[in-house]
Amino acid sequence: MSDEIIQLETPFQFNEENMKKVDELIGRYPIKEAAMLPTLHLAQKQAGYISPAVMKHVADLLEVTVMKVKDVVTFYPMFFEEPVGEYVIRVCQTLPCALRDCKVVLDHLKEKLGIDVASETNLAKGTTEDGKYTLMKVECLASCDVAPVIMINDDLHKNLTPEKVDEILNNL
Amino acid sequence: MVQQKRILYEHLDVPNINTFDVYRQHDGYKRFEKAIAEYQPDDVSKMVMDSGLKGRGGAGFSTGLKWSFVPKDIEPRYLCCNADESEPGTFSNRYVLEKNPHLLIEGILICCYAMGIETTYVYIRGEFTLGKKMLDAALEEAYEQGYLGENIKDSGINVNIYSHPGAGAYICGEETGLIESLEGKRGQPRNKPPFPAVEGVFMKPTVVQNVETLCNLPFIVDKGVEWYTEMGPIYGDARFDPPKPDPNTGTKLYCISGDVNEPGVYELELGLTCSELIEVAGGLRGEEVKAVIPGGSSAPILTHYELDTRLDFTSLTLAKSMLGSGGIIVMNETRNIVDCLLNIMKFYAHESCGQCTPCRWGTPWVRDIVQRIADGEGRQEKITRPKFGIAEGGRWGDTGETEEIYEDLDLLESVANNIANVDTMTWNTICVFGIAVSWPAVSYMRKFRPEFEATIREGKLTTLSVEEATVPPEENYAFQQRIIPKEMSELG
Ligand SMILES: Cc1cc2nc3c(=O)[nH]c(=O)nc-3n(C[C@H](O)[C@H](O)[C@H](O)COP(=O)(O)O)c2cc1C
Ligand code: SF4
Ligand code: FES
Repeated sequence: MSDEIIQLETPFQFNEENMKKVDELIGRYPIKEAAMLPTLHLAQKQAGYISPAVMKHVADLLEVTVMKVKDVVTFYPMFFEEPVGEYVIRVCQTLPCALRDCKVVLDHLKEKLGIDVASETNLAKGTTEDGKYTLMKVECLASCDVAPVIMINDDLHKNLTPEKVDEILNNL
Repeated sequence: MVQQKRILYEHLDVPNINTFDVYRQHDGYKRFEKAIAEYQPDDVSKMVMDSGLKGRGGAGFSTGLKWSFVPKDIEPRYLCCNADESEPGTFSNRYVLEKNPHLLIEGILICCYAMGIETTYVYIRGEFTLGKKMLDAALEEAYEQGYLGENIKDSGINVNIYSHPGAGAYICGEETGLIESLEGKRGQPRNKPPFPAVEGVFMKPTVVQNVETLCNLPFIVDKGVEWYTEMGPIYGDARFDPPKPDPNTGTKLYCISGDVNEPGVYELELGLTCSELIEVAGGLRGEEVKAVIPGGSSAPILTHYELDTRLDFTSLTLAKSMLGSGGIIVMNETRNIVDCLLNIMKFYAHESCGQCTPCRWGTPWVRDIVQRIADGEGRQEKITRPKFGIAEGGRWGDTGETEEIYEDLDLLESVANNIANVDTMTWNTICVFGIAVSWPAVSYMRKFRPEFEATIREGKLTTLSVEEATVPPEENYAFQQRIIPKEMSELG
């Protein structure tokens, strides 16, 4: 992707507060590029997802090519290249959770939200039409003692049953 | 019953231990102060070496030895704390970060003092939002209190600690993957050598250490080597004459999950047996143990015949498995091993970083074979191949006989062994992710072959009784080759 052909549909710029944070982050490392992951996290928090415009802005700040940013974004499952729901629901599917019936929780969520599970290349199919929820499967969330677990945005929910899931969604 | 020995976790549940004041009331930072007041940096390194502390992150490598590889004449040197904790079945670092982050900071300070390091990055997995928040708050307090920054407590020592979030990739737990990721790139592991100790982050000497490993340091410094080495077995390595001491000292934060009544983290002296740990965790949930994964999903599985294996680095390695990250996953009689393997192979197929051809293609291939078998579409054809078993002289090897095996099972074993060979322990990949794939694949298949065969034969997922599903000890490759290590005291 060369810089010229990127279509900047929605322009992106860090807001003042985040810009300060980025400056502080860059100061932590001997090379600017090393601030990549924390900077992308901040950008995603502000913009919702990593659009080409975000990549361009981050590339300029860290003095790397846009391709390099894209390279990183595509590698890490936590960065989204498409819009996602207001609430991203991550359902753990790995063995310890599977031994505690995480499938019941996942099926319940699918049915309740009327959506499929998002895949890394197709987030839309796991997102409700009103843009409220995105449902994804993830690997072990390092909470196997309280399985089955899900994460909704930044919060972990433990020892789940379909009833508990209902309660949590109602309280969002 | 074996009693818990809470050292790292002693104050975990003290209210507000995450704050500086409460931590301070519980001897917080006094062990660091003792280190700088009473010992030279080299003394601390020597204590760590003599304590026998082994890395708790997965590889079980001697921490003192790792430190000794770091060249002291190259500046700057870095410490990377591995808080990526993504190995399925492992969750002990999370509690340290969320509940007692000052303990980690104190551990880091001691490591930095011993190694003359001024900059530390704590690489925290992206999903640990709460853990990162708590650590960041603790770091801020430590700076305010003068335990971080320039000229700490007038000692002339400077240490800065920064937290650095990952973004959901398991492979960034591998030390060189972590380093690449920290540098702002894809987390693809590097070829070794050079090892990180010599050329790590920003091409400078780097110590990579797990959270739990670092949390041991304050106690080793405070209470001494003698106290530390009284915990856990010290085996004699019989390959040497006289036997060389092989310490498995200290406690381990065992994480136990799956079919037990009280899953959780239990801090115990290293060296209790698998059955003892299940008992500590409230006993089995179900009638019978079918299988136990002893060290995170990468570790070869144990059958119910192998539950007397002691859960320490040496015993498990000699039983052809590993302690790994200390994540123990228990499965009862209702579980289907084919189904469990499928779950794990989906994990690995998703997490391969894609650099090496055998891993990038082989791992999804293994997953697809297991998927096919689990779907009831395993190939019905059988092939004839040499039979391995107890050969002449009582050793494991080619028996000279032949056996019939379903084509798919032979294929499964062969694809897995071509990523990394579990028998010769050689691999064609850059990092040991490869062996983490073939270990479970081959061990589940070999140890629970009747269940795989029944599933293929019946054309549907078929769960056999524990007795029927498990290969008997005399045909179990690991059981036949396992060595039970002897403690130094027994060897005289
Ligand atoms: C695929 C793979 C994943 C790993 N994941 C982790 C991890 O999540 N946390 C960790 O501490 N070590 C992990 N390790 C082990 C590290 O490579 C390294 O050995 C460890 O961080 C060294 O620290 P220690 O000596 O204190 O254990 C992993 C290794 C491999 C091969
Ligand atoms: S073995 Fe797999 S995970 Fe490791 S470097 Fe190669 S492709 Fe990546
Ligand atoms: S398997 Fe779900 S948290 Fe570990």
